[in-house]
Amino acid sequence: MDTISRDFAAAIALEDLWNDPYPTYERLRNEAPVAFVPAANRYLVTRHADIVELERKPEIFSAHEANSLMIRVMGHTMIRKDGAAHRRERLACEPALRPGVVKNKWVPTFQAIVDALIDGFEKDGMVDLFDRFAGPCASLSLIAMLGLKDVDQKDLRIWSQAMMDATGNYADDAEVWRRSDEAAAGVDAALDVAIPYLQANPDESLISCMLHADDPLSREEIAANVKVIIGGGLNEPRDAIATGAYALLADDEQRRLVEADPALWRKVFEETVRWVSPIGMYPRQTAVDTELAGIPLPAGSRIGVVLAAGNRDETVFQNPDRFDINRPKAPHIAFGGGPHFCLGAWAARAQVGEIALPTLFSRLKNLRLDESEPVRFGGWVFRGPLNLPARWDA
Amino acid sequence: MPTITFVEADGTERTVVAAEGTSLMQAGVANDISGIVGECGGSRMCATCHVVLDLADLPRLPPISEGEEEMLEFGTSERFEGSRLGCQIPVTDALDGLKVRVPG
Ligand code: HEM
Repeated sequence: MDTISRDFAAAIALEDLWNDPYPTYERLRNEAPVAFVPAANRYLVTRHADIVELERKPEIFSAHEANSLMIRVMGHTMIRKDGAAHRRERLACEPALRPGVVKNKWVPTFQAIVDALIDGFEKDGMVDLFDRFAGPCASLSLIAMLGLKDVDQKDLRIWSQAMMDATGNYADDAEVWRRSDEAAAGVDAALDVAIPYLQANPDESLISCMLHADDPLSREEIAANVKVIIGGGLNEPRDAIATGAYALLADDEQRRLVEADPALWRKVFEETVRWVSPIGMYPRQTAVDTELAGIPLPAGSRIGVVLAAGNRDETVFQNPDRFDINRPKAPHIAFGGGPHFCLGAWAARAQVGEIALPTLFSRLKNLRLDESEPVRFGGWVFRGPLNLPARWDA
Repeated sequence: MPTITFVEADGTERTVVAAEGTSLMQAGVANDISGIVGECGGSRMCATCHVVLDLADLPRLPPISEGEEEMLEFGTSERFEGSRLGCQIPVTDALDGLKVRVPG
């Protein structure tokens, strides 16, 4: 890395990443693919090949981060554990999210949720699809998959946001802590209802699987993992639904392709999460002295694995900034890689790509963007549309 | 150490030496076999290490677990009679000379 590139990395402002990180990522990939970025207080890894390589070495690039705010907010969840401790908790959850269960149990559940939401606004002819469709769809779907009882979809969205805000509360804002404590208390109260019920009435849900696994999880482990799933299983499908809908509404040609051949919805989903990855960055920490792309990384270095940058790597994806469902097959990394590979990948594919998007486009006639208000995107750690005003012929 | 032959989607045959104690997926990834991605690192969640064996070779492998079964049934674009996930196949001396097809 030459001086100019080092100065460039040093000058990166989080605000610019939040507004539009992609020009910065392009320059980092080309000039400083493993660069210490003071504003993020991490080495950002931006090339596809380097991300794939580090995910193959979980014993060097550990998920267990010292002073993790996530552990403070949620307790110690599987996503911040390594090795056998991680495997044990993940295995307990797995039966709830395997592709067969998704197909037989969750797909009909998602379809009923999506139909009821559209029934609710179909006659209005206009709505903000982010707030009235993508958010509630993700929330209701997650309530079902978790096995929670009598939880309001709005509450789950508030809890999710409050906990995620707190995992990034490096500024130590007291109000942010207060809201996340309130959210955690809300989740704990919901578990007081769900756990006794599922203890006596096992089903396919995540909490039931954790309770009835061969090696069952403790109440404390269940609480931590339910919190991380609420934090991480809600905004991502929400953002994928909103991004995918936006991409098609903004590009007639792509939309016509998929409307003519519904088998392409699968590709719409994969291309959506490549194009704007809902989880743009996640953290790792080096367990020993190592190096990546020739850059020495002492033990204890804080790493930011920038999936969003790897998914726009021009050496893997031609014309990477374009949304193109017909691009040649190449593996995107939106679900991460290695032992923490997204446990909800099959559920997300089904919810977003098989049910929410196809149903939305087939039920709302002449669906189009409401040009009176522009669609705004925001975020870099998590990224997606902030609104999606739309109209159709009611 | 056993040798394994991978037949890539375009018909290219590549014979590699695989270390005992690893998996067929890891051998494929280590040797850059086209079509073996191993996205989930062997946690049986991504089906990007799908291989197809001759039926006569199936008895050389451990049986299919419930998790692998679901992944083959619902996670692969097309399942064949000899389909297995490379990550669920431990490399042992008993596999020496095995040939597997990568459906791509
Ligand atoms: C489009 C939607 C989604 C995307 C893009 C996504 C992405 C990811 C990524 C990148 C990771 C790895 C994080 C890390 O290594 O630190 C992850 C992990 C995880 N995801 Fe997802 N996710 C999605 C939907 C879901 C859903 C719907 C659920 C639950 C029902 C879920 C549950 C999980 C869990 C439990 C983990 C942690 C796995 C582990 O630590 O072993 N995800 N996800």
